[in-house]
Amino acid sequence: MAGTIIILVLGGLFGFSLNKAGLTRYNKIVNVFRFTDMAVLKFMMTALAVAMIGLFSLRGLGLITFPNVPSTYIVGNLVGGLLFGVGMALTGF
Amino acid sequence: MKSILNYIRKETWSPYVAGILLGIVGILAVWLSNSLLGASGAFENLAGMLGKALAPAAFDNMYFNFIMPPGISTGVILLIGVFFGGMLGAATSKTLKWGKKDAANSDVQWKRIIGPQTWKRWGLAFVGAIILEYAAGIAGGCTSGLAISGGMLLAPAAFLFIAGMFASGIITALIIYRRRY
Repeated sequence: MAGTIIILVLGGLFGFSLNKAGLTRYNKIVNVFRFTDMAVLKFMMTALAVAMIGLFSLRGLGLITFPNVPSTYIVGNLVGGLLFGVGMALTGF
Repeated sequence: MKSILNYIRKETWSPYVAGILLGIVGILAVWLSNSLLGASGAFENLAGMLGKALAPAAFDNMYFNFIMPPGISTGVILLIGVFFGGMLGAATSKTLKWGKKDAANSDVQWKRIIGPQTWKRWGLAFVGAIILEYAAGIAGGCTSGLAISGGMLLAPAAFLFIAGMFASGIITALIIYRRRY
């Protein structure tokens, strides 16, 4: 039960940060592909950098173990990504 | 304290500040519940549940039995949180337009490029979402589940996905916007 509440709260913060970064809007998502508004990239890369530093430090200290890392299968990841971009630019999600 | 509260009420934050918040949430997700953030998987879990109930034969395959088992998974609970978190974000900046005119299709840029009709927005959203979900199934995650959550674990898959996403996204935007690009 406690675990469920933690996940709900984390999900809430996730949604909150997406909303405040403006990623819930069509124009933000599409404009990154038009190079007129780089908010999506700034947001994503900041999150990546912060989380990378935190996670690898915590693993170095032995406080966490990584959950299953997404598996690499080059063709699948690339084809999936290519198809995903089409949907993303079309709908702005 | 007052300036912090005022900042929370702002409609759009600096993407760096919001990014730091998401980064911390990503760390906490691994630390506190040993799970990764994600969005697309939850829809597959729910679709699997629906499918198993309505057409068990069609859904009795590798994908729904092993890769994306149906049920109320962590992702589904997370997604409920995302929904209310996003709503809270909109409510704090007073952009929550529940039931108001134009709430179903409020993006100015969309109206200028595609047209003001609501059915166009909803129809394209439906078609596009099918593409998104199918692509996420192939790749093994979406922007949050693979690109961000995988990227922060330095998974090569995430960076391949990001490269593909931007390559085709730029081309699609070029095709849609043509001279207005």
